[in-house]
Formats: sequence, structure tokens, C-alpha cells
Amino acid sequence: MVKFVKVIPIAVKVGTVTIKYPYAKPLVTDSFRGAIEVNPSKCTGCGACTRICPPKALSMSIEGETAILRYFIGRCIFCGMCADVCPEKAIKITKEFELASEQVFDLYVDVEHEVVTCKRCGSKFVTSRLLNKVEQKLEEFPKELLYLCPRCRRIEMLSKQTYLR
Amino acid sequence: MESLSTSSEFENLYSYLKRFSDRLVEEEDNLRIVVESEKLREVAEVLSKTEGVFLRTIAASDERSVNGFYKMYYVFGIDKIHRNIVIEVPVDPSDPVVPSITDIVKAADWYEKEAHDLMGIKFSGRTLYKFVLPDDWPDNVYPLRKDYTVQDLVKLYRPEIVTKAKEVEAEAAIIIPIGPYHPALHEPEYFELYVRGEKVVDARYVGFMVHRGIEKLAESMKYDQVPFLAERICGICGFVHSCSYCQAVEKALKIPVPERAEYIRSIVLEIERIHSHLLWLGVAFHLLGYDTGFMHIWRIREQVMILAELLTGSRKTYGLNIIGGVRRDIDRDKAKKCLQVLDNIEKEFKNFVDAAINVPQIKSRLRRTGLLPKSEATSLSLVGPTVRGSGIPRDIRKDYPYAAYKYIDFKPVVRSECDNMARTEVRIYEIFQSIELVKNFLDRIPEGDIAVDSWEPEPYKFGIGAVEAPRGEVIHIVITGRYSPYRWRARAPTYQNLPAIPIMLRDIELADAPITIASIDPCFSCTDRALIIDISSNNVKSVPLNILSLKSSKLFR
Repeated sequence: MVKFVKVIPIAVKVGTVTIKYPYAKPLVTDSFRGAIEVNPSKCTGCGACTRICPPKALSMSIEGETAILRYFIGRCIFCGMCADVCPEKAIKITKEFELASEQVFDLYVDVEHEVVTCKRCGSKFVTSRLLNKVEQKLEEFPKELLYLCPRCRRIEMLSKQTYLR
Repeated sequence: MESLSTSSEFENLYSYLKRFSDRLVEEEDNLRIVVESEKLREVAEVLSKTEGVFLRTIAASDERSVNGFYKMYYVFGIDKIHRNIVIEVPVDPSDPVVPSITDIVKAADWYEKEAHDLMGIKFSGRTLYKFVLPDDWPDNVYPLRKDYTVQDLVKLYRPEIVTKAKEVEAEAAIIIPIGPYHPALHEPEYFELYVRGEKVVDARYVGFMVHRGIEKLAESMKYDQVPFLAERICGICGFVHSCSYCQAVEKALKIPVPERAEYIRSIVLEIERIHSHLLWLGVAFHLLGYDTGFMHIWRIREQVMILAELLTGSRKTYGLNIIGGVRRDIDRDKAKKCLQVLDNIEKEFKNFVDAAINVPQIKSRLRRTGLLPKSEATSLSLVGPTVRGSGIPRDIRKDYPYAAYKYIDFKPVVRSECDNMARTEVRIYEIFQSIELVKNFLDRIPEGDIAVDSWEPEPYKFGIGAVEAPRGEVIHIVITGRYSPYRWRARAPTYQNLPAIPIMLRDIELADAPITIASIDPCFSCTDRALIIDISSNNVKSVPLNILSLKSSKLFR
């Protein structure tokens, strides 16, 4: 009949449930995905993460003599796909979520890489670290081709073969 | 499972369709049939008269580069035998006209308007006006046609404000939406209620104020990026969208999803339903002026949110689905924790809802308000708790089994009172049912992989993925492309349910309008403001919806 009065004992039993954030215990569980952290010593600048990133928060650009892997937290949706695809396991998902800042620059994190210039045309085409990595993996690959950009490599290969004939 | 050709009940329908077109293919769960546009109305008439056939979705697609036509896909579903009938109508690009079927199949109304706006298909025999696109959108630009890329469209359409800002030499323009939008919390929805005194006579709905064009955007994204975009269609039940999308691609390309992944998907889907229904209950209590109820329900819901974070890594937008499986496993510790939390929620919720639903004001405000007759619910092909509150046991989990629901037996919750109370009760009992289902899934989950190793896209395959979201059926159609979906059509449950609101509002007290609009759980959107036009005195006044709603509670006291 007066069933609705039951709310009172429930309320008394439960008491206060809000906590004194940010002074109380952490709010997130172990599985929580927050901002990512790129380990500059492991990253080779291959750009796999920039290709999978759904909101394009990660981008790769060449500015002057350096290649820059830029992470813009403002666009990040914290899905962690970059960490999944990174072949070097250089990306770590942190539990960081208090990311607000008064300065927009604080929301950018850059990882800088040295770049290699093409021996033939002089264009910058790959980070030197990635090239070293590839060099180790492909021992039998002709050295003179390795330092050519993809376009020049094609020309070189073609002219070589024509010469052989 | 029965197919249409072997089903005794639908034998006549099948032989009829067979006579109709020689281009008829029976696939695993669809019967695809190509129909010329002159004959479309005839087929639609037969389908609408066959009992148990509902319209599920309609999609328009630009396939000029593939076969020289635009194409309309009409997806009708026969719940009983778990089959779709997909009617494909090729449309001549030089004169893209299709006969309208809205007078035969009521539910087709919005789909036709949308196809007209976005694909430039004309429908003969009905009036059409700009429905989805903004009023100042350039004429003869149909964004979903393949003539335009996303970048083209951004250049083509500039909101008026940009020119205005330039005139006054402003450096930047910021648009702050005020009006039918709520700038922070809710999505925009705008209802005009026509009243005589305190009684509602009719209602009109204006929507699509934030149409974001994500179907177009997805065509420029890679397959594995789209689930994250799909998840952001809804802030409350996003997982159903990524799930539907993945299932559609998996169906189209015949990717075998590991059983364990199917179970994990189902577990998370049910957890999402629990939190969504709890959210709705809280908001409904709030609308009825019972804020104690709102607070307690949301307190209970918080545990579900934390649980979801533990299982998936995020409170909302779980980011769990990829094509061919899921990204995170549920290990033993997590499963144990999950059971503990669910037990606790079940106990607390049972205790509390028993008290809350017996509050006299709540009872009297929900009973016999917002009536939605069974016949109307059928003819509009409604979905979810809205239709189940009107005595029709439509539930996609049961009717078109997907993920792990095919391994489990359960009965959809149905109430036949057709009022707001019925829809509330459906949701309350579904919370208990979902808890039961999760426990069952956790009990039966098999060992194994959680995703396929790799898969290859193959262009121009057709797939339908449907999921029973907390609000009703979500259905996605995917036509595959080489690197991205060629066409992706997402249809959310509220799209199907909103046309029922004017029916539910007819002849009710004005003060009951907010809860009635809310009773379909319209992603709650921006029902926060309503415009009241008094026909007798011609006065127009604007009242925040929550104040409007409180009025009646006070009268009652």
C-alpha cells in the first residue's frame, strides 16, 4: 500500500555516495584507456599508427631536416588502435585523463626523427631509423638501391634490367 | 532454419515473387529480388498485406560506376522465419524517378524524403520538401552521390554565417545553437504541439538539425576505422552501431567470427542495455518530478558504467569491435567481478524500483497516457520497447538471431496495455532479463580466439547487420568497396519510432506530452523546450519542458 515509503530506509542505508574528487582514490579501473605515450627511443617513424588512427590525431610530416610524428590530444578518442598496430610496441596507453590545458600547445606531443635523403633526386623519403631497420631485415638487398626513394628505385631497377638485356 | 522457398506459411508469397521477377536470388538470410520501378507499388502492396512482414530499412545507393544505375534497396523482414526480402529497384540516372510507396507502407515516409535529399531520387505521387539538409543547402547538390568527395562538399556548402562574418571583417565565427537545441546535454529535436485548452490535438516534428553526413564520411575511411565512427552515432548505445556495422561487413564478406568473440559482443551489448534502460528510467522519473528516483537509479547505474570500463577500457564508446571479432578478452577475474556487480545491481534495483514505481504520482502519470494502438504500431513497423509495449513481440535478438543470441533461449518481454506504463514495465523487466542473459553468457562462454587473423575485402558485396539496441532495432547495410565501404547505410531505432509520437500525443493532457515523447526513449535529445500555440487565443509561448511537466504533478498534490 505505502510501498513508496521504502525509499527512506534505502536512502538512509546508502548514505553519501559521491567522493571527494580529486582528493579521494583514483576514479578509473585497471582497464581504462587514457592518452597515449610514444616512446621516442623505440619509435622508428614508420607511420603505421597515423594510418590506422580513426580521428587522425596522429600525423606524420617532414619539416626541414626532420620527420615529425605529431600526437594531438585534442583529437584523440582514446581507442588505442595505434598501440595495437605499432610494430615496435613503442606506444603505451596510459591512464591519464585529466588533460585540460590553458595552452593549446600543451596538447601536442612531437617525436622527431632524422630523415634520409635520396642519393639520386635529393628528396627526403624515410626516417633513418626505419631504413636501418629495413637494412637489418633485408641483408641481401642491394645497398645502392636502399638509399633511393621509391620513385628513383623504380627507375634504377628498370634501367639496370634494360642494360642487362 | 526455414528459408522463404521452403516455408509453408509464406509459400504463396514466394511463388508470387518468383512469378514477378526472374532475377531472384536466395542467399543465406536474404531473398534478393530485382524489380522494375513500374512494378514496385504492386510488390509493396502484396508485402504490406501479408501479415508478419515489416519494413526494416530503405537505402539509396549510387552505383553508376558499377552498373550504370542508382539503386533503391527496400528491406522487408519476415520476423517469423528470420528472413529478409530485399527489393532492388534500379533507377535510371537520366530521369531518377521511383513511384512513392508511402501510401501503402506508412513507414517508408522518412526514408523517401531522405533519399530525395541526399541522393536526388524523385518519388512520384507525393509531396517532397527539404527534410534532412539545411534550408540554404545549394540546389541540385546531392551529397551521397559519388560525384562529390567529402572535401568537395565542405567547399560547396558554407553556412550563411561565414559570409556574414566576412562582411563585418570578423576573424572567426562561432555558431552557438540556442532554441530547439540544448547546447550542452541533449540532441536537438523540435516538436510543435497543437492544443485546444490543455488537450493536445496534433503534433509536428522537425528534426535533422545536426545531420553530420557520417555515411559519406565513412566512404573515405578505412574498414577498420569505421567502427569507431559508427560508435559515435549515439552517446548512450554506441556499441550497437559498431556491432551492426561489423556484422554487416562480416555478412557481406562471409568472415567467420570466432564464437568467443560473439559471446563477448553479446555480454557487452546486454551491459549497455542495462545502463541505457537505467538511464531512461532515471530521466523519466526526473521528467515526472520524482528526482529522488532519478538520483537513486543513476546511483545504481554508476556501477554498470564502472563495470563497462573494466570490461572494455572505457565507460562509453567502448572501442571494442573490429571486423572479425573484438579487441579485448574477458578473463576469469573480470568475469568474476562482473557477476558480483550484477548480483548487487539486481538486488538494489529490485528493492528500489519496487518502491519507485508504486509512488502514486508516478503510477497515475504513466497509466493510460500516450496510448499507442497495436494496429498503428504494426503499420509503422515500430521497433524496440515501444512496439513491445503495444503487445507485439518484435525483438531482433529473437527474430534475426545474431552474435551469441542464437545459442540461447529467452522470451522477449511484452506488455499489451499500450500506454506509457507498459513501455516503462518492458524496460524494467528487460533490465532483469539482461542481467540473467549476461550471467548465462558468462557461464557458457567457450575458449578460443577473440578475432580472425586476417580477412580480404572484395568489392560490391551486400550485407545487412542488425542489432537489438536498447531503443529498438538498429540496422546497417554495407556494400563493400576495395579499401572502404562503398555505401554504408545506418538506421537508428528512433528514426523508425519518432513517427509514432503524433499518434501517442493525440488527445492527451499537455502536461503528459513530455513523458509521452520520452517514452520511446528518443535518445532523449533536445525535448527540453516546447512551443505551445494556443489555437483559440493565437498566443505563442515558449516553456521549458521540465516546467511544463511539473505542472501536472503539482495539480495532483
